[in-house]
Amino acid sequence: MTHLLEVTNLRTYFQTDKGTIKSVDGISFTLERGEVMGLVGESGSGKSITGFSLIGLLDANGSIQPGSSIRFNGRELVGLNERELRKIRGKEISMVFQDPMMTLNPVVKIIDQIGMAIRAHEQVSDAEVRRRAVEALRKVQIVDPENKVDQYPHEFSGGMRQRVAIAIALLHRPQLVIADEPTTALDVSVQAEILKVVKELVAEMGTSLIWVSHDLATVSSIADTIAVMRHGKIVEAGRAREVLHNPQHPYTKGLLDALPSRSQPGQLLASSATEAAGRMDFTGLGGSAIGADPDAEFVKAVGVEKIFAPKAGFLRRLGIRAGLAKEPKPVNAVKSANVTIARGEILGLVGESGSGKSTLGRILCGIYPADAGTVTVGGQPVRSEKGKLGTRVQMIFQDPFASLDPRRTIFQSVAEGPIAHGFCTRQNAREYVNRWLRAVAFDPAMADRYPHQFSGGQRQRVAIARALAMQPEVIVCDEPVASLDVSIQAQVINLLMELRRNLNITMLFISHDLSVVNHLCDRVIVMRHGEIVEQGPAQQVFTAPQHPYTKMLIDAVPKLAA
Amino acid sequence: MTVEARSASSVSPAAEFWRTFRRNKVAVGALVVVLAIIVVAIFAPFIVPQDPYDLKSLVLRDARRPPGYVGSSGIVHLLGTDSQGRDLLSAIVYGLRISLQMGLLAGAIAFTIGAVVGCFAAYVGGRIEALIMRIVDIQLSFPAILLAFVVAAMLGQGKSQLILALVFAQYAYFVRTAHGAASAERQKDYVQAALSVPMSGWFVVTRHIIPNSLPPLIVVATVQVASAISLEATLSFLGVGLPPTEPSLGMLIANGFQYLLSGRYWIAIYPGVALIILIMAINLVGDQIRDQLNPRLRK
Repeated sequence: MTHLLEVTNLRTYFQTDKGTIKSVDGISFTLERGEVMGLVGESGSGKSITGFSLIGLLDANGSIQPGSSIRFNGRELVGLNERELRKIRGKEISMVFQDPMMTLNPVVKIIDQIGMAIRAHEQVSDAEVRRRAVEALRKVQIVDPENKVDQYPHEFSGGMRQRVAIAIALLHRPQLVIADEPTTALDVSVQAEILKVVKELVAEMGTSLIWVSHDLATVSSIADTIAVMRHGKIVEAGRAREVLHNPQHPYTKGLLDALPSRSQPGQLLASSATEAAGRMDFTGLGGSAIGADPDAEFVKAVGVEKIFAPKAGFLRRLGIRAGLAKEPKPVNAVKSANVTIARGEILGLVGESGSGKSTLGRILCGIYPADAGTVTVGGQPVRSEKGKLGTRVQMIFQDPFASLDPRRTIFQSVAEGPIAHGFCTRQNAREYVNRWLRAVAFDPAMADRYPHQFSGGQRQRVAIARALAMQPEVIVCDEPVASLDVSIQAQVINLLMELRRNLNITMLFISHDLSVVNHLCDRVIVMRHGEIVEQGPAQQVFTAPQHPYTKMLIDAVPKLAA
Repeated sequence: MTVEARSASSVSPAAEFWRTFRRNKVAVGALVVVLAIIVVAIFAPFIVPQDPYDLKSLVLRDARRPPGYVGSSGIVHLLGTDSQGRDLLSAIVYGLRISLQMGLLAGAIAFTIGAVVGCFAAYVGGRIEALIMRIVDIQLSFPAILLAFVVAAMLGQGKSQLILALVFAQYAYFVRTAHGAASAERQKDYVQAALSVPMSGWFVVTRHIIPNSLPPLIVVATVQVASAISLEATLSFLGVGLPPTEPSLGMLIANGFQYLLSGRYWIAIYPGVALIILIMAINLVGDQIRDQLNPRLRK
C-alpha cells in the first residue's frame, strides 16, 4: 500500500520585483490515510505556500520548480494542467482557508454555495442538493440546518461561517483536507468548538488532514504528527508527542520555550529574538513615575458607560416617522465599568471579540469620550469636553504595521510627540529619541529608515519607544502581541516586564490570549458583552475562576498535550 | 511573505517608486516627451524662428503657405504658416507653452484646494463634512466643460480668468478623491496613535493624513492636468478662452478649421497633433503611476 501523499523535494519559488523568493525550499514528507499532520511555523516560513502548492493554487508569479514531486495516491500532481487539477480540487483534496469572511460569497445563499460545490463534480437534482446541504450543515453541528441553508453568509457568525466552509470542504468526502490557519481569526471558545467538530469528522470519515498553523498549542490538540517549518525547510518532524516533549532542533526548542504557558508567570521568557535585539539600555531615562509613591487607586474609572448609537440618516428618519423603519439599535459597548489600577501594576483586560475591551481601553486612555462616568489618573481627569488632557496616558496598538505612519521615518514618528509637548526641543530631539530607542533595544543608527524596512517585532518596539518617549505614567496596551510570531511575542512581553520594573510604569494590558495575560499581569479583569464579569489577582482567576464564562474561557484555551 | 533582503541604506518611498517606474519603457518614454515639451515651452523664445506674438514680423504675403515654404524674410516654415502668415511651428511651441501653463497652474491650484478641503472634511466629519461633500456632489453632476464655459463666459477673456474657470470646473474631483483617501486614513491606527499622544488636529491633518492621501491625488492630478489642457483648448476653440493676441493650441485649431476643406490641412492638423501628443504623454505617465500606486496590481 502506498502512502496517501508523498511529497519529495518540493520547491516553490516566487519571482518578484526584488528577486526570487524561495518560499518552499526542498521539503519532503509523507502522509498516511487518516493521519492528521500539523504544519507549524512562523510567518514567512512557507507553511501556507506548502498547502497551496499541494493543490496547485499559486499566484501567477509563483511556480513549483522542476524536480519536485507530489504523489497523491501514487499519482503525480506536479505538472498536471489546470483542468485535471480542478477535477481533484474539492473532490479528492479540498481546502479550508483562514478567513471565513473572505471564502464565502456574501451575495450567494448558503444552499447555492453548497450547490455550486456539489455540482462542480456531480450532476444532481435541486432536491438532492437541498438534502445534502442540510446534511452537511448538520454534520458540522449547525443548529436548525433546514432553515439556515436558505440564509446569507452575513447572517452567520464567524465561527458558523468557518463551519460552513468546513462543511463545503468535506462535501465530496475528500481523502485529504488542507486547513490553512482555520481558527486563527476566531475567538478561543469558538476555536475550541471547531477543533472538536473537525476532530470528530476527520476520525469518522477517515480523512487525512494537514492543519497549517502558527500555534503549537492548537496543533498539539489535533495532530498526530507535527512538521516544523522555517525559511522554507522542514527543520523537525515526527510524532506530535515526541516533537513537543523532546524537541531535537534548537528552533523547535526556542519556539516552545517562548510560549508563556510553559514558564512561570512573571519570569522573563526564553527568546532568541530578545538576545538578538541586544541589551535594553535604561540609562538617562526620565519619567515622573520612577520613585513615585504607591497609590492603590492611581487609575480610577467609575461607572464608565459607552453607547454607540448609529444616527439615523434623513431617509431612515422619514421611514421611522412613517412607521416603515425602526430606530437603529444602539450598542452598549461598555456597561457601568468600574476599574482601578494601582501604581506600577499591570492589569490584564481579557475578553473575546465584541466584549468592549478595546473601547474601555480607549476610554481610559482618553481617546474616546465616555457617555457616563469618570476616568481619573492620579486624581486628574484624562479627558475634557474638548479632548484628551495631558500626556500621562499613552497607548500601544495591536498592529505595528498599521500604527506607524508609513511616510515618516522612525525618528520622525518617535520625535513628533515629545517635540510638540516640550519633552525635548527640535535641536536635541535626536539625542532624546535615541535614548528611548536604546531602551527598547532598537539600534538608533537605523532611526532614519522607514517602517516598511523593519520586521513586526522591530516596529512594535518602535511603537513602544514612541509611547515611552512621552514619559507616561500609564500605558494602555491594546493587544500588543496579538499579531506577532511567538518568538517576537516573547521579546515584546519581556520588554514590557523590564519597563515596568525599571520605569515603574502602570499598564493596562488588553488581550484575548489568556496565557499571555496569566504570564504578564498582576490582576485580571474579564469582560463579556460590555460587562465586567470577574476580576481578581491573576493567579486566583486562572486557578479558581468564579464566573462560568471565565471557566469556559480557560477551558477553551488549547494546551500543549501533557 | 516578508522579503528578507532589507537594503542597508535608507530607501525612501519615493526612491523605490522611481525604481519600479523605470521598468516600464513606454512610461519612461512618455515622461521624456512631457519633460521635453516642458523644456521647449520654457525656452520657447530662444528656440523658435519667429515671435508669433510680434505682429510686425508677420507678412500677409506669406499666409497659408504649405510646410517647407521659405518665407520672404528667409525663414523656413517647417510646418507652414497660418492665415496671418505666422510660422506655424513657432505658434505651436508658444501654444504649447500657454496650454501647459494653464494646465499645470489650474491643476496645481485645484490640487491644493482639493487636498486641503477634502482631508479637512474627512477629519472633522459631521455636518461640515456633509455640507462640503454635498456641494461637491452637486458640482460633479454637471459636466466640467459646461461649468468652465459658464464661468469663462462670465469672467471674460484672459489668462487668470481662464485659470479660475478651469479650477472651478476641476477642484471637485480632487476634493472627492482626497476625501475618500483621507476617510480611509482617518480610521488607521497611526492616526489614532497620533491623536492619543495627543497631537493637534492641524498636525495630524498636515503631517499624517495629507501625505498618506497623496497617492490617489497624484493619479487624479495627472488625468486632470491633461483634461485641463484639453478643456482650455476647447474653450479657446469655442472663443471664450484666451484672447487672439495670445493664440493657444485651441485657437490655432479654430483658425485653421475653416481651411481644412480647402486643402490647407496643416493649419489645423499640426496644432491638433501637438495637443494629442502632449495629452497622450501625460496620460501614459499617469497610467503607470496609477498602476504602481494600485495595491491590487502590485506584485
